[in-house]
Amino acid sequence: MSAPSCVASRNNPIDRVIAGLEVGLLLWRAQLQMFLNQTLRSRKAGRIVGTIVSAAIIVVAWSWEAIITWIGVQASQRAPVQIDTVHLLSLAFLAWTGVLVFSSLVFSLNALLLNPDLDLLLAAPLPVESVVAGRMVVQVLRLMLLGLVFTLPALLVLAIANHNPLIPIVFAALYLLYPIPVVVIVSLLTLLLVRFIPVGRGREVVTVFGVILALAINLLNFLFNPAFRDSGFARRPRVPPTLPDVPAASASWLPSGWAGRSASAVLRGDWLAMAEWTLVLLAVSTAVFVAGTILSGRLYFAGWIQAVLPRRRQPSAVRTRRLSGALPLLSPVLASIVVKDWRMRTRDLAQLVRFVMPVVFIFVIFGLRFGGLRSAVQSLGEGPAAAMVGLVPAWILLFSLSISLGLTAVSLEGKSIWVYAVSPNTTLRFLQGKCWSAALPAAFLVALVALAAEILIRPGWLWAATAILLAVAQAVTVTTLMVGIGAVFARFDWTDARRMLNPVGAFIGMGFFALITGGSALLLAISLALAGATGYPVLGTWLAAMTVSIGGAVAVAVLGVLIGNERLRGLELG
Amino acid sequence: MLSTRLLTKRYGSLTAVEDLDLEVGPGELFGFLGPNGAGKTTTIKMLVGLLRPTSGTARVAGIDIMAEPERAKARIGYVPDAATLYDKLSAREFLEFSGDLYHVERRLRDRRIEALLKLFDLHERGNDFLSGYSRGMRQKVSLAAALLHDPQVLFLDEPTVGLDPQSARQMKDILQDFCKEGKTVFFSTHILEIAERMCTRLAIINRGRLVAMGSLQELRHMVGQDGQSLEQIFLELTGSREEDVSAVLRGLEE
Repeated sequence: MSAPSCVASRNNPIDRVIAGLEVGLLLWRAQLQMFLNQTLRSRKAGRIVGTIVSAAIIVVAWSWEAIITWIGVQASQRAPVQIDTVHLLSLAFLAWTGVLVFSSLVFSLNALLLNPDLDLLLAAPLPVESVVAGRMVVQVLRLMLLGLVFTLPALLVLAIANHNPLIPIVFAALYLLYPIPVVVIVSLLTLLLVRFIPVGRGREVVTVFGVILALAINLLNFLFNPAFRDSGFARRPRVPPTLPDVPAASASWLPSGWAGRSASAVLRGDWLAMAEWTLVLLAVSTAVFVAGTILSGRLYFAGWIQAVLPRRRQPSAVRTRRLSGALPLLSPVLASIVVKDWRMRTRDLAQLVRFVMPVVFIFVIFGLRFGGLRSAVQSLGEGPAAAMVGLVPAWILLFSLSISLGLTAVSLEGKSIWVYAVSPNTTLRFLQGKCWSAALPAAFLVALVALAAEILIRPGWLWAATAILLAVAQAVTVTTLMVGIGAVFARFDWTDARRMLNPVGAFIGMGFFALITGGSALLLAISLALAGATGYPVLGTWLAAMTVSIGGAVAVAVLGVLIGNERLRGLELG
Repeated sequence: MLSTRLLTKRYGSLTAVEDLDLEVGPGELFGFLGPNGAGKTTTIKMLVGLLRPTSGTARVAGIDIMAEPERAKARIGYVPDAATLYDKLSAREFLEFSGDLYHVERRLRDRRIEALLKLFDLHERGNDFLSGYSRGMRQKVSLAAALLHDPQVLFLDEPTVGLDPQSARQMKDILQDFCKEGKTVFFSTHILEIAERMCTRLAIINRGRLVAMGSLQELRHMVGQDGQSLEQIFLELTGSREEDVSAVLRGLEE
């Protein structure tokens, strides 16, 4: 069939929906091919091993889930408990809706604002509706798969325990049907949203949504989790003492109620009720999908095609100041790397969030429970033990900053690495610049948090000063080590900043962080015990422990940078 | 100014460049031509020190690029094909960064940046983020960065791609002026008219092997027909496939 006849035959709305399904399956197949090409077919030992290890981890997690479900089933058979399964499952589906809304939003923004293949699809002789519908099909399939990945072992155990092999199949059908209305509505809204969000800022919008969600989850957890009820933040007395119920979750007019009834019916073996509620969900989801597909064409022409252009952006007056003048002790090459990285991290919202989030979470973790924590630590009185407690928030911050700034420092260059690679400088000098660019802000922020903690705890000025000194030294050494590890696992081919961070590198980095901070805490504790046992002055043993701790960390950091340098020297950075 | 001896680059079983011998003198504007995948970019990347040759040697400004990469790179300017720049820096900030990497003294650097921004008509948008620049404007910023430290040899990989006719002409003038100072330009291009009009000498590479090198006149002698255009010479030396193309196109119409 030639292209024009293919287009002509798809003027009928139903044909467009069917074309959408075809495009969706085509895109799904392409994604599967890309996944296989990047993993098992990559012919790279590291990636193949990584895939096998990931699969093994999933199998282990599945085994645990299956065992726990089996124990639960056995317990419920021995001691039956009256549970309203319809309401419980409806609540679960309603809770899943929150995940669906967020992931659909991120996916739609990615699919419509960021993924470069959209132009290719829109230029093809396909109706616009089928392209949007194809995207929605891919999203629904991904969400169904995600639902199965998390629950399949439990469903299989329930199928065996109830002698009902249809349980996983019915749940899979529910996982397929339930997300459709959410995905369709969010996709349509995104089509309109694009009219107001410049395409080039899509990643920043996705990041902002992520931050808002993370903060909201933390805040909700803090406000409603009974574990946080004992002290601290003054809440309103009307807040109920248990996790809130949503009575409407199982209402017969809500999709969560239909899905809950269908799921409950299949667990009971009530085929009629199961078929009835699944058919209701199927009918509504199909209607929403068809209507959404037809509407998407109109919204595309009202929204996407008139998408706003990004405004010309200039550095603000404050930012254009010569920052390099603030680093007089560094050579021009090192200072220029520090300044350039600072600008890159603070001007790109996605990067800035990586940088600022740890500080925000320090506030969420410690700030909201400030009153209770303060009274607890001040009871420690003066001395080195109290000073050491003050290091805890600094270490938590350092953990996040050393990963977000240190591990990504080298990969931050991305495809622009050629700029440095063709310049007359060694890779070691490049790494030195990266160490400075990561260590300076990390040390500054860690020092601030340590100072604030020590002021609150008041362990005595001498102990406070040594603790802050230790925090700063650890910030510099740990971040430097992370830069070295980041160089070993550097990747410069990313187009999405989230892929800068190599998971194996992050895992190794976390291990070293635990080793350095744990070792340091152990040495300080030993120094106190030693002083108590031998009668030596506490300050002497404390300073000796600090020296050994910092010296060890410096040695590990230098070694890390040297290994990272060898790795970079071996790379062809073109 | 530039010489290679048996320069070879292999990726596993694939030989991208094989036994390449080149000699380019001072003041030459040297065109490096070849079909897609012939090995042009690989050769340039080896000459600027981005790729390590599998075997052979390359000397730039009399310095072995493998033995003394930092010394050699200080004398090289490089403009890559589709340069990826730092999106969140302005053009001026990027040039400052580049100048610092090449150890250009700060006052001299700032003076040159202003001059280069004016030369490339970028001074009014010098404070805009590079993310808002078109491909042609990015190409100009790359060239400005490559010229900032006053190199002796300039390597350009497809420099005219993305440039409007006015900017392409401007770039041609800049490169010719650069060569008049006794410096060398080595550039790859697909646009044979530009190579024909600009270059003092040319080399044609095909499937990683050098198939011809010399002035346009020398190349004409080589194929045995005076008066031929560079396009005809190029097609003859790299293997014309006009008949195959026609056959395939006829097949598509059926």
